[in-house]
Amino acid sequence: MPGILVVASALEGTLGRSALELVGGARTLAGPLGSKVSAALVGSGKALAGGPETLHRHGVETVYRCDQQALTAGQSDAALAAVDAVVKAAQPDVVLVGADTVGREVAPRLAYRLMAALATEVMSLAAEGQTILVRRQVYGGRAIATLAITSRPAVISVKPRTLDAPEPAPVPGRVEDVAVSIDPAALPTRVKEVQSQKAEVGLDDAQVVVGGGRGVGGPDGFKLLAQLAASLGGAVGSSRPPADEGWVPITWQIGQTGKSIRPNLYIAVGISGAAQHVAGVSGSRTIVAINKDPEAPIFSLAHLGLVGDYKQIVPALIERINAAKGA
Amino acid sequence: MNTIVCLKQVVDPELPQWDFAIDPATKRQVRTGKPLVISTYDENALELALQLKDKAGGKVTALTIGPAGEVKDAIRLALAMGADEAVVVDDATAPVLLGADKAAILAAAVKRIGTYDLVLTGCESADWVERSVAPFLAEALGAACVTFVTKLDPGQGSVTARRTSEEGFHVIEARLPAVMSVTSDESIRPRLPKVKDIMGAMRKPVQNWVRSDVAAEAVSSPVEVREVSVPQRTTKCEFLDGEPAQQAQALIEKLQSLKLI
Amino acid sequence: MYTKVDFALADEHRVVQAAAADFAAREIAPLAAELDHSGAFPRELIRKAADAGLLGMTVPEAYGGAGLDAVSYVVAQEELARASAGVQTIITVNNSLVCDPIVHFGSEAQRKRYLPALASGRSLGCYCLTEPSSGSDAMSLRTGARLEGESWILNGTKAFVTNAVEADVCLVYARSGPEPGAKGVSAFIVEKSFPGVRVGKVEKKLGIKCSSTAEIILENARVPKENVLGEIGQGGRIALGTLDGGRLGIAAQAVGIARASLDASRAYARERRQFGRVIGEFQAVQWMLADMATRIEAARLLMYRAAWLRSQDRPHAREASMAKLFASETAMWASHKAVQIHGGYGYIQEYPAERYFRDAKITEIYEGTSEVQRIIIGRSVVGPRS
Repeated sequence: MPGILVVASALEGTLGRSALELVGGARTLAGPLGSKVSAALVGSGKALAGGPETLHRHGVETVYRCDQQALTAGQSDAALAAVDAVVKAAQPDVVLVGADTVGREVAPRLAYRLMAALATEVMSLAAEGQTILVRRQVYGGRAIATLAITSRPAVISVKPRTLDAPEPAPVPGRVEDVAVSIDPAALPTRVKEVQSQKAEVGLDDAQVVVGGGRGVGGPDGFKLLAQLAASLGGAVGSSRPPADEGWVPITWQIGQTGKSIRPNLYIAVGISGAAQHVAGVSGSRTIVAINKDPEAPIFSLAHLGLVGDYKQIVPALIERINAAKGA
Repeated sequence: MNTIVCLKQVVDPELPQWDFAIDPATKRQVRTGKPLVISTYDENALELALQLKDKAGGKVTALTIGPAGEVKDAIRLALAMGADEAVVVDDATAPVLLGADKAAILAAAVKRIGTYDLVLTGCESADWVERSVAPFLAEALGAACVTFVTKLDPGQGSVTARRTSEEGFHVIEARLPAVMSVTSDESIRPRLPKVKDIMGAMRKPVQNWVRSDVAAEAVSSPVEVREVSVPQRTTKCEFLDGEPAQQAQALIEKLQSLKLI
Repeated sequence: MYTKVDFALADEHRVVQAAAADFAAREIAPLAAELDHSGAFPRELIRKAADAGLLGMTVPEAYGGAGLDAVSYVVAQEELARASAGVQTIITVNNSLVCDPIVHFGSEAQRKRYLPALASGRSLGCYCLTEPSSGSDAMSLRTGARLEGESWILNGTKAFVTNAVEADVCLVYARSGPEPGAKGVSAFIVEKSFPGVRVGKVEKKLGIKCSSTAEIILENARVPKENVLGEIGQGGRIALGTLDGGRLGIAAQAVGIARASLDASRAYARERRQFGRVIGEFQAVQWMLADMATRIEAARLLMYRAAWLRSQDRPHAREASMAKLFASETAMWASHKAVQIHGGYGYIQEYPAERYFRDAKITEIYEGTSEVQRIIIGRSVVGPRS
């Protein structure tokens, strides 16, 4: 029976959320393709704990486990070696990889080793007979390309936070430990340092996000936006120019090279609405735009628009929100 | 430290929305008559290569695939910025080739160039945004691979790179030869080509090869581009007018009614 | 008989154009409005322009210049002027009115001494021809020069000198002999640091505000004999030859201003909505844009041809005059229409249209007024006096 292998990464110390998104995507394809879903659980020691159970609970019958000391944060070479070993054991037709920092290096390299068909950064998965159809953003988010994959094996990397996590669908499962020897000293790269600049409320999970653009004018303006975000229990992000200018850390950047987010509420302040940024937020349920320029492209994306100076509007908002909370 | 920088020419991504159109025949952006520029992050890669040369010496080679007539200006600019030499693989089909095909040709061209320590390219192309060329190239060349790099420090037979991650950054030490892709950073501002270096640039060596000069080997299996479409926006923006205080009040009420706050 | 006519810019010209446009967009454009409001000399920006090779574009590489031809020069100057006419004024004067005459008429010693500094931006040049009582009638100038031992002693006042405040090197025309008119005039390379040289009244202008315009006052200024440019009595010829190149620089400035006016008008016409549609769809506006575009193309072609002739070392006085005349009148017309298209916003300083309008006016005046250009062209059309 053909198989879809999901790469469930535990490199960061625990099973990442992308694993479940991929399982959801795999399950969408499994029915139409007549395939079984399995997972490659890669990590080291304690990071793997609970992983198989979580995967079984969401419908993955076979978990191929790879436990190696070298499988830690940022170690793409080790991850590639581990996934390669699992692929040899599982012989899947399709491999799904999350396009995170490591995944986006692993996917093409795995495709090379397998001479597989490759599609990267996809936002949706569907099947048409035995053809896999994927959609991905191109031209800075201005257009959507639909790719059709007929050959096997196929390696597909999925853009984080674009697929929904699946509903639980417990199945009795088994774990197969895959033997592979990864000598850290023999790897071409060595991870010397891993630095996290985690914000208080993560941009990835926040239900409310306030984003600032070039119109914010400088780092001070972002302090005001942070206050607004805090009053709404949300996170702050930015379009590319503030990150490029150094007004905000690069991890705040939303958009093509930055993150994609899908909060319930996205408030864009001083953001013109260039395609690249829009691509990162277009999945938001409600978009509010605050901008001095009534002709700014962001207003053709936003649901609610406020034309004016954010330096006057945002304090007024913060005041009213805090008043309503106090009441 | 000898560096090869892979550059791709794309239709200017800053073109206004009304000037953006997909050609149904090629399933790519309409290119005829549009201004062409070096892909954004490829420029960053070139700048980083030049910064490395300023620091540690060595040679910078600009490599591109494209219709020779089209890429001429991009190559001259790269040479005027400081690249020492250029290689052009003349291929009229280049504008429609996907990352895998590009990587195959680039790998063959790099092998033919021969001596290098580092191959740099942009983390993603401004048009197709696949992020696949650098990893494919690394495999095809048997080189180390680090993507989304913002800083580089040469070492002995190795290079230490700072890679952007979702939470922050990683510091990676990579053995040479290595293939790295470069992203944006405050410290990477592509230098302006000096008008005074343009005459000199016209005299720097440019090798012109054709596709058949490089024996490209496939790096993956082909994928079909079914369709490229421009999504139509259907949202109609509701404007909340008045003084800032009134706007704020109206917004709060609207969001409350939508149960968003 | 077939004539090969090629309207395409050569590789070298296109690359120079791209580099100049890049520089203008990145370095000049963000400062343009502020420089106009403050009128402050953009010292740091001029240093960067010098670094990029923009201050000595046609100076041979042997003397530290970029070694480019006249077509590259006008193509680049047009891009710079599009971003800021004021900044480009500073740059074009250095190139056309100071570097050029030293290249063409200077001795080897003078070239070696002054060109590297002028091309690299270590020195800035200015051109001292006009006086309070001699403008269009340039050769009626009264600044005197008399030989005293190993030095020439200069006395007089030069007016409307661009870059006067910041310049280190002044190209000064003075009457060195008893012959009336041009024959009695000589050109001198005068360093600001020579005794007796000082800056006089600094003028406030309608436009091109960030370039300084002031008097240069010579009071028994002591100029070494070696600093005579060319021969004694050759001043008239040098002035004439220099103005050909200078007019090309101003033609480029005018084309740049006109293009900026068109670009701003087009963008505004695409965004501004009245009566339910963008105003760019109304015939009245469209026709203004059509006329702007047509005149700009014509001005550019005149400019390219004159520059091409110059690059081929062919006579080009008439063509340079035509280019300057037509381009400057185009700039005035186009910037005027730009203000009109912008409506009320065309009068407001937050929008660039009014700056283009104010900057354009000088192009019809300096380096030979439009009236003087018509005299030159007219004489060339009618032919020699009978």
